[in-house]
Amino acid sequence: MRTPPFPLKERTISWNSLRLAYRQGVLIPLFSSVVAGSLIVTPVVIVIVRSFTTARLGSSVGFSFDNYLRVLHDPKILPMLQNSVVYAGGSALFGTLVGAILAWIVARTNTPGKALVELMPLYPILMPPVMKNIAWVLLLSPKSGILNNMLQQAFGIDHPVFNAFSMPAMIWVFGLTCVTLGYLFLLPVFLSFDPSLEESAYIAGSKPMRTLLRITFPLAIPAFLSALVLNFLRGLRSFETPVLQGSPGGIDVFVSKVYDSMSVDYNPGLATAYSAVLIALSITALLLYVRTTRFSERYATITGKGYRVKVVDIGRWKYAAFLAVFVYFLIGIAIPFVVLIVTSLIPYYDYDTFMQFPSNIDLGSYHRVMRHPSFVSGLYNSLALSLIIALVTVFSGIVMAFTIYRTKVYGSKVFEFIGTIPLAFPPLVLSLGLIIAVIGSPLYNTLWALGAGLFIAYFPYALRNASGAIVNIHRELDEAAWVHGAKWRHVFFKVTLPLLKPSIAGALFYIFIEAIRNIDVAVLLVAPGMEYGPVTLFEYFRVGQWAEAAAGGVIYLLILIATVSIAKFVFKIKFSL
Amino acid sequence: MKKNILSAAVAAVVAVLASSGAVPAANAQGDPYPKAAAALYEKAKQEGALVVYTVWDVEHIVSILDAFSKRYPGIKTSYWQGRNPEIVQRTVTEFQAGKESVDIILSDNAPPVIRAAGAIQPYETVQEKFLVLHDPTMPIVSLQIQALVYNTKKLKPGDLPKSWEDVANPKYKGNVALDDPMRAGPLSSQLAGLKEMWKDDARFTRFVKGLKALGVPVHKSTSAMFRLVVSGEYAICEPALLHDAMEERDEKHSPVQIIKSAPPVIFPRYGAIYAKAAHPNAAKLLAEWLITTEGQAALDKVGREASRKGFESKTSIEHAYGKGTKPIPITDKGFMEDPKKWLDTNIKPLWEG
Repeated sequence: MRTPPFPLKERTISWNSLRLAYRQGVLIPLFSSVVAGSLIVTPVVIVIVRSFTTARLGSSVGFSFDNYLRVLHDPKILPMLQNSVVYAGGSALFGTLVGAILAWIVARTNTPGKALVELMPLYPILMPPVMKNIAWVLLLSPKSGILNNMLQQAFGIDHPVFNAFSMPAMIWVFGLTCVTLGYLFLLPVFLSFDPSLEESAYIAGSKPMRTLLRITFPLAIPAFLSALVLNFLRGLRSFETPVLQGSPGGIDVFVSKVYDSMSVDYNPGLATAYSAVLIALSITALLLYVRTTRFSERYATITGKGYRVKVVDIGRWKYAAFLAVFVYFLIGIAIPFVVLIVTSLIPYYDYDTFMQFPSNIDLGSYHRVMRHPSFVSGLYNSLALSLIIALVTVFSGIVMAFTIYRTKVYGSKVFEFIGTIPLAFPPLVLSLGLIIAVIGSPLYNTLWALGAGLFIAYFPYALRNASGAIVNIHRELDEAAWVHGAKWRHVFFKVTLPLLKPSIAGALFYIFIEAIRNIDVAVLLVAPGMEYGPVTLFEYFRVGQWAEAAAGGVIYLLILIATVSIAKFVFKIKFSL
Repeated sequence: MKKNILSAAVAAVVAVLASSGAVPAANAQGDPYPKAAAALYEKAKQEGALVVYTVWDVEHIVSILDAFSKRYPGIKTSYWQGRNPEIVQRTVTEFQAGKESVDIILSDNAPPVIRAAGAIQPYETVQEKFLVLHDPTMPIVSLQIQALVYNTKKLKPGDLPKSWEDVANPKYKGNVALDDPMRAGPLSSQLAGLKEMWKDDARFTRFVKGLKALGVPVHKSTSAMFRLVVSGEYAICEPALLHDAMEERDEKHSPVQIIKSAPPVIFPRYGAIYAKAAHPNAAKLLAEWLITTEGQAALDKVGREASRKGFESKTSIEHAYGKGTKPIPITDKGFMEDPKKWLDTNIKPLWEG
């Protein structure tokens, strides 16, 4: 009979504890986490060190605090930071909450049209955030926006009702892109929910809504906070929405300081110094998360007891629930997608031309996209690489989460920070750190370096997903295995991994979709002569060819929708359901 | 007699080279290119490869390199495409690590900054007399041309601004899409050009403060800003890029038009040779070829502006504005090599003060 690894009294770093770890085999996940952590830490350390030692264009200045002093003396950062926190916090809260509600409806209620309801929240994930931005700018622009013009023509309203270039519109659009994470993180939790707790509430006379608010949602707090923290950090460093919607409305966010440091100052050290503010915010958000989930057993919903997930009868509300999912489907993808399709099929966008469709149909944008020299080969490369990266990243994230929450190795909580820290850095800064790390090695200008960059960029998603899910699995299941003499590999592969299956599918799907359209990280790491799909397809967004961008986006979306549908129906793959 | 024989011999060599495909026929007479190209091509063939970093669209660079490869077979070309900050960071980092990674950088804002970091090998083109703008260290193979553009559905011809300065007229408040002058984008470079041309601080101050007084939000993406002008959200684009405006007007028939009374502002697009280029002759050959009429035609085919004097193209100044138009050149070395410093000195006190 074995004992569970590292009982509380032995949580100190000593030879004895390491020997025990060796005996129980947990050195393997620990070592794997150290390897993954090192890969992440290396470029981070490089950029931090260089922020003290280099100035403009990477010129050496010895050891200096100049970059940080410039940040401290910048009078603009406080108002910009305030805008950033409102924008990122608002979007994260809105998106994660909507995602959580959708996940609950799909997983736990008797909402009619199950097949549709399962699919509808999934498809908006496929639409890249920048496409959503463009579509909503076209819909909500004060003078030229479709909705404002329609309202004006229908009701004679003189002044614009909607304003795409305002904080609420920024929160609306970025919030919609945050729904994905909330949905994918919460769905597995609700799917693996032990209903006995809810049943107890019902027996005690609690009504469904009260049970939902007092029992169901509180138990999903770790996963909710995981998604919330991630969405908040994504919002802090997101650039498309602030550029396309913020600056035309006079709303400056903090991250533009980081980008200006790179594109006006050409000073990665200064960009890193500005990023330190984001790092501080990230650490604060993570500390909040760690503190909230420190008694992880409280949130365990998957225990040793056998149970079947119970579908809650919500009575007449089931039609409202269906409507809610349908409305999200309309807002999340259908309406913006239609706007993009029409925009891709007309010669140029203005309201009159838009409304003349289909009499003015023009396929020029599609011809141009299809003729793009690296359309096919680039797409193939990025599909293959993204699939591999998604698999490796998700597996590594689970191993690290297992190390943090199951091995109780002294100091393992530090991996929470290491694994999340890449989110605090702008992709260009981080890729530069990685370039410096590998430039003297044969890895430079290879697919390996590009793969490493994507791994680092998406590891936080994999880790946060796995952390949120693993906290919901009661330790007693692992302990039962340990007691019966299992080593870590048995516990990990036979107990933890199968129970994490719904989360794994969701994370794989999400990271694959994100990696396939990544430009920011990939662009510096792509070697000359290597064709990479996103750089090709999303080039149109970068150069402002919105019709071609929409055409490329429509083609890209159709390919992904076809892939998802084939995978779901033909191969019976379940992404998260 | 000797002279005639020599001329005939040179003509014969040129004719042979031209027929063998080594020299663009249009340039075979009266310019130094054929001789220089022949010498460069010999060495470039031995180098056998050419690596290009560029800010230009993938479609464009592929088309241009295809045309180059047809003219000069035996040189394997490859490219990497990124934005200017990415090009600067990658090139300078590689230079500092001693990497022979790239041969030529085709871009606008990036090469002067890279040159300031010491990562550019000075090279003066042999065709300088044909160029609208000339830099003795980096061949100018194309131009970025800024135009004052308006939406024809939003403004009547009688209400148009007549010059760049007119844009600052308070009557255009709410109608102007204004690029951020502090982001080192097109408006920043335009201001550098105007300051240099006017040499009148009071006039310059009045203009910048006038723009500021419009009280309009500034944009951080010129292309997105132009798109909003096309859509009718704004009436005037300060500034737009000429090739965008021409493509929209002539090919898509969008409601945009150039205000011809505001002269175009021109910024160089370089073919800069990397200091540690592994294939320097191939790089120089590409830079030289791009300046020839054949190279300029390859640029024109993808909608890029010509840098060769008198070259007729759909995005040439003559075509867009008419003959005799005098452009405003941007040549301020201080701005081009350290835009942040220049902006902090010349614009920030007026814009933020």
